[in-house]
Amino acid sequence: MFNLSFRYDQTAARLQVEGLPDFSAGQAEGVIGILSGWKLQLVASPELEGKRDHLLALMSTVLPYARHRLSGVSRSFGDEASAVSIAPDGEGHQLLLRSSQKGVEPLTLHLDDAEFADLVRCLDSLRLDPRVQVAWDLPLNQPLPRQELAEQVPIAQRFAAPLFGGAALVIFAGLGLLLPFPGSQDGVEQPVESPSTEQEQASS
Amino acid sequence: MIEQITTAEQPASGEQQPTVALPSAVLGRRGLERLDLLLLVVESLDLNGGEAMLWSLQQLGLQGQFPNRVELWKRRCHNPLRRATRRGQLSSVDTEALIRLLCAMSERLYPLLHQLLSTREPDQLNQQRWTLLDQRLRDLIDERMNPRRGAVQRLLMPDHSKVIQRELVLSLALAAGPGGVDRLRASLLDPTP
Repeated sequence: MFNLSFRYDQTAARLQVEGLPDFSAGQAEGVIGILSGWKLQLVASPELEGKRDHLLALMSTVLPYARHRLSGVSRSFGDEASAVSIAPDGEGHQLLLRSSQKGVEPLTLHLDDAEFADLVRCLDSLRLDPRVQVAWDLPLNQPLPRQELAEQVPIAQRFAAPLFGGAALVIFAGLGLLLPFPGSQDGVEQPVESPSTEQEQASS
Repeated sequence: MIEQITTAEQPASGEQQPTVALPSAVLGRRGLERLDLLLLVVESLDLNGGEAMLWSLQQLGLQGQFPNRVELWKRRCHNPLRRATRRGQLSSVDTEALIRLLCAMSERLYPLLHQLLSTREPDQLNQQRWTLLDQRLRDLIDERMNPRRGAVQRLLMPDHSKVIQRELVLSLALAAGPGGVDRLRASLLDPTP
């Protein structure tokens, strides 16, 4: 058997994947094409392990979360039906893992920023490792939509500029209406008298 | 049975980059401000940051584009918050080079970034590290940025600066590593909210 194992180490995280080359896809001997299992060790946390689907769920939750954090957007990823979810937790991050086996309580891990960065680096290393040729189907890193970024700006700050602009426009328009019309002495417009038809006839 | 166990040794984010085709990323005003600010944080973390950047540029094969400090400074002066600012947009090639430089520097400083972000470090020691970073960053901002700008004033406000500095250090940590370049580029290309 050509069972292979690759390990990705960081200070607070260690990820190990095991698998086999997919000879039917023409892969060489030193390449993992079929992932049979993985283990993740985080400092002061129990060891996690699972199958390919669990690792894919972890990657597809943690990496987009990291992408959003880099843009200053703090929001949770993964819902109650997901195997993995992650959410901001004070100055850290809360990772929630749900087992596919019945009767097993979800596992909650609290990560600080350093542990979170280590986890992201491990997952990145795996994702970009040319020796692991597994189709991950992860979303690409793209600029975030404007609305998602705008939601992070406090409402008062978001609407301050348009409200101030609108108020300034109303005030100046009101002041403008108080000004007298040009050409009048006492502020009341004098009607312009047009010569009557009789006067026109007399003058002719 | 496991027959072969190997430890992955990924090349530094910058080492394999010059072979990759450079995407055309032209940054907006916010992106330029953020990129230069992150480079400023790198300089605050590394006393010899200017020299280290030139050395990293050589390692990345970008010495033709940035042969000396002055060329690097000229590119960074596209940041509108600088005292001596340059008009116009930074070209996509220069932008990509600066992004890769930043990621390479983040990779180099990653152990220090990790210490700053870790809650497992002794509190007093970490507090001293943050104070030192704060002091150096303030000095650099005073020296190079236009203090009449609101954004620069916010960076110097004691209430805001702590939060902003932590976000900047976390950004550097997430920009390090093999996937950091793509992540940082996408983040810098975010539209203005």
